[in-house]
Amino acid sequence: MRHGRFYVGLAGVALVVTYLVWTGISDSMVYYLTPTELVAKVAEDPAFHTVGVKVSGKVVPGSYDRGEGELVHLFSVHDIEHSEVTFPVVYDGVLPDTFTDEIEVVLEGRFGEDGVFQAKTLLTKCGSRYEAAPEELDDRGTTG
Amino acid sequence: MGFVGGHQQRGDLVLSAERSIHIVFALLIVTSLGIMNAFLTDQFQYWYVANYSNRDLDVFYKLSGLWAGQRGSLVFWAVLLAFFSSLCVFLNRRRNREFMPYVVGILQGILGFFLVVLLFAGVNPFEQLGFLPVDGAGLNPQLQNYWMTIHPPVLYLGFTAFSIPFAFAMAALLKGRTDSRWIVLSRRWTLVSWFFLANGIIFGMRWAYEELGWGGYWFWDPVENASLLPWLTATAFLHSIMIQENRGMLKVWNMSLVLLTFLLTIFATFLTRSGLIESVHTFAENTKIALIFLAFMGSIFIASVVLIVHRRPELKSENQIESFISREAAFLLNNLILLGAAFAILWGTIFPLVSEAFTGEKIAVGPPFFNRVNLPIGLVLLALTGIGPVIAWRRATKRNLKRNFATPVVAGGVVVAILLGLGARNGYALWTFGISTFVLTVIVVEFWKGTRARARIEGEGFFPAFLHLIARNRRRWGGYIVHVGVVLIFTAFAGRAFEQEIRKTMNPGETVTVASPFGHTYTLTYEGMSSSREGNFERWVALMTIQKDGEALGAMSTERRWYPSRETMTTEVGIRSTLVEDLYVILADVEDLQGMVANDPAAQRIVVQVMVNPLVGWIWYGGVILTIGSLIALWPAAEIRKRAGAGAMADSSQETLAGAAPA
Amino acid sequence: MVILGALLLVGITVFLILQPILAEKEAPLQSAGEEPSEAQFRKRVSLLQLRDAEYEYAMGKLGEEDYQALRTEISGEALAAIRAESAESQAGSGVFEGPTDAELEDEIASVRSRLSGGFFCSNCGHANPAGSRFCGDCGTPIQAPTTSQLS
Repeated sequence: MRHGRFYVGLAGVALVVTYLVWTGISDSMVYYLTPTELVAKVAEDPAFHTVGVKVSGKVVPGSYDRGEGELVHLFSVHDIEHSEVTFPVVYDGVLPDTFTDEIEVVLEGRFGEDGVFQAKTLLTKCGSRYEAAPEELDDRGTTG
Repeated sequence: MGFVGGHQQRGDLVLSAERSIHIVFALLIVTSLGIMNAFLTDQFQYWYVANYSNRDLDVFYKLSGLWAGQRGSLVFWAVLLAFFSSLCVFLNRRRNREFMPYVVGILQGILGFFLVVLLFAGVNPFEQLGFLPVDGAGLNPQLQNYWMTIHPPVLYLGFTAFSIPFAFAMAALLKGRTDSRWIVLSRRWTLVSWFFLANGIIFGMRWAYEELGWGGYWFWDPVENASLLPWLTATAFLHSIMIQENRGMLKVWNMSLVLLTFLLTIFATFLTRSGLIESVHTFAENTKIALIFLAFMGSIFIASVVLIVHRRPELKSENQIESFISREAAFLLNNLILLGAAFAILWGTIFPLVSEAFTGEKIAVGPPFFNRVNLPIGLVLLALTGIGPVIAWRRATKRNLKRNFATPVVAGGVVVAILLGLGARNGYALWTFGISTFVLTVIVVEFWKGTRARARIEGEGFFPAFLHLIARNRRRWGGYIVHVGVVLIFTAFAGRAFEQEIRKTMNPGETVTVASPFGHTYTLTYEGMSSSREGNFERWVALMTIQKDGEALGAMSTERRWYPSRETMTTEVGIRSTLVEDLYVILADVEDLQGMVANDPAAQRIVVQVMVNPLVGWIWYGGVILTIGSLIALWPAAEIRKRAGAGAMADSSQETLAGAAPA
Repeated sequence: MVILGALLLVGITVFLILQPILAEKEAPLQSAGEEPSEAQFRKRVSLLQLRDAEYEYAMGKLGEEDYQALRTEISGEALAAIRAESAESQAGSGVFEGPTDAELEDEIASVRSRLSGGFFCSNCGHANPAGSRFCGDCGTPIQAPTTSQLS
């Protein structure tokens, strides 16, 4: 084969990369759930308490409080669309500037057996970084 | 029109086509100036201006409103694209004429696509509100940062510039001139594009570091990844074209790479604009744009693949790889690894979408995946930056390897041993430092040997020899300098393994201490909070005085800001940079926020997070060195000189080369 | 006012685009013989490779044997390219950016003559006067090249 060495090299690197990607994804992928889905999953399979998950929800208005210790924050979340399922969250870290009541958040952490979500990371979603939200300026209902 | 003109050899059509490019450029400039003017004169009847500006906004940010939002940035992209197209046509108005009709045709196509998007996807930047607001909504405060303002333009320059090499490649296929000519013609454009992409990415990192306030600079966010992908493939392309030029190999590979890189530049802006993947970077979701972009990328892909397959016979390699241990093999490995990394990152980025489509379950793939995959890849790549310059072409003998690599390998080993002795244990960091030393040794020795050889041969002094050495072969030595920059950046990444972080609640007068991995200690004293009112925000500043090992070093501050027009609060971190590390202070929490806002003197209890980020500055310094190296490589050589007749040349060449033939 | 401006722009645009077709103005389709041909390209590449090889040998990067082998190979390729060039129907201009082919050849010849006038130590690159048996810098014994190997 004319380009034997080329193909061997290609195959070799492809194999290594595929291996890295495969194990990488299976080891580090996390489910991305709503609070309702999370509670349901945990009820189905109690072992799920030990698995890291990502949760997308909305902060329950008025639920925010400081916890004990520096930078410990307590609040509750429910689904973005409806508020039937809620659970409390404990987050240890710097609170994003945009954190307010009713803000949409993305949490990463574990859902403990005590029904409290221990969050390692907390991100807020404020629509889009580039788009303004104020409705007063947009009475046409168009988004850019 | 360009295509028809080229195919039928009709010069009038070609001229028409070329003029149309210049005209589009002129019209787009007018449009852009119109938008900028609307911002400067507070024309809030335009939806776009009202949503990205307000009266109090600094002029600098008003001007940059052109690219702050989806609509304006599309115009901005188009005008840059038109600029490069126009420049290319102008520079080649008398040269490369057999290519130009097709080049023009392709550029017209790309420009046309973006104009279609602007006109038909509901993204008119001049859309009016129907009433005149008193004031605009202002610009997101996190975008009010110098680096964030120049990061999109520089990145866009990189993305759009790559259309030119792509156009030349396709023109070569259309014309049938498939040797290295198109590569030589578009080499500079490729380097220009690569240069802007690299800097654009680094500026983005600088912004994230300063503004997002986590002490980090890269989050493997989908849009970050999307900008990295074309840079990776462009780097691969820059190297593989050297193989085609020198050895006539990898012709199909290069065609595919240029296509892939171009598609990735379009993919990058597609991802940002369509909102298809969740990211903190994206503009709001817009399905119309997504569909138009998908259609465009699809047709380009199909058309180009058809062309490549059609020309396959003419793209045969002239030589083969003779040995696994050779420069060709090293470059090839470099390519495969860069593409492997690009694939891994692409897969990780779109995996959530794919998984949801197939299994219905939503999955998230985050930094752990990307770091895990890219760390080993990065190490191999780093090593290659030192192996490539020195390993022999065609086949490297054992002698050759020993001669060139013995010292650098030993140097690397010595550094690792020293670090181990000092207590460093992080595996990846040690490997990085060792390999970085290896590469730097190789490059320094190269410069040294080259200068010395030249000094001897030309009878010059050392310094003139050094300058002439570089001037004679700018691409090579400029490239080595770029490698030095890259090494610095990788080393900076390794510094994160030694980060220090302390959190403390403080009242005025209290101190916090943090130790640097370099052996000294910083002590910060919290002096107190003060407040003031600036142009479009209010600020509350926490002042900290610094001591290093007992010696007073001045002060730094971190603050909260309130932007009334956006009703947003932001935190600005304090950064104190030295050559080897950054002292990074975050105002993590204010216990009594209401009190602070009311300027209550009792509300001064804060929580700070103090970090020492070792070697972070080397990213920025590395970027500067990378820039210098690129500029050297780009600098045009002496003017093209005319030759006497071809006949005289052939004779003298025969003489010189006859001396080389075996006796 | 704006409408007038827009109409003007459209008018100018239409005029500029249609003019070449109507008035039969053409963009040049040939580059007036300023383009190097394929064979000239290959020759150019060979010359550059030869020059690099000379410098690498002088730098001490390339050992004696490797250098000789490489030189023979590249010269062969260059000669093939020269023959191809004379056989070409359409003469390219052979104009490249940077030094002309002649200048490159001069450079190669000059490096070679320095190499033949004295010896570059293959270990450290130090230039030793003709007739030396040991390198004056690092002490490695010098392999004297035979006369047939020098141009």
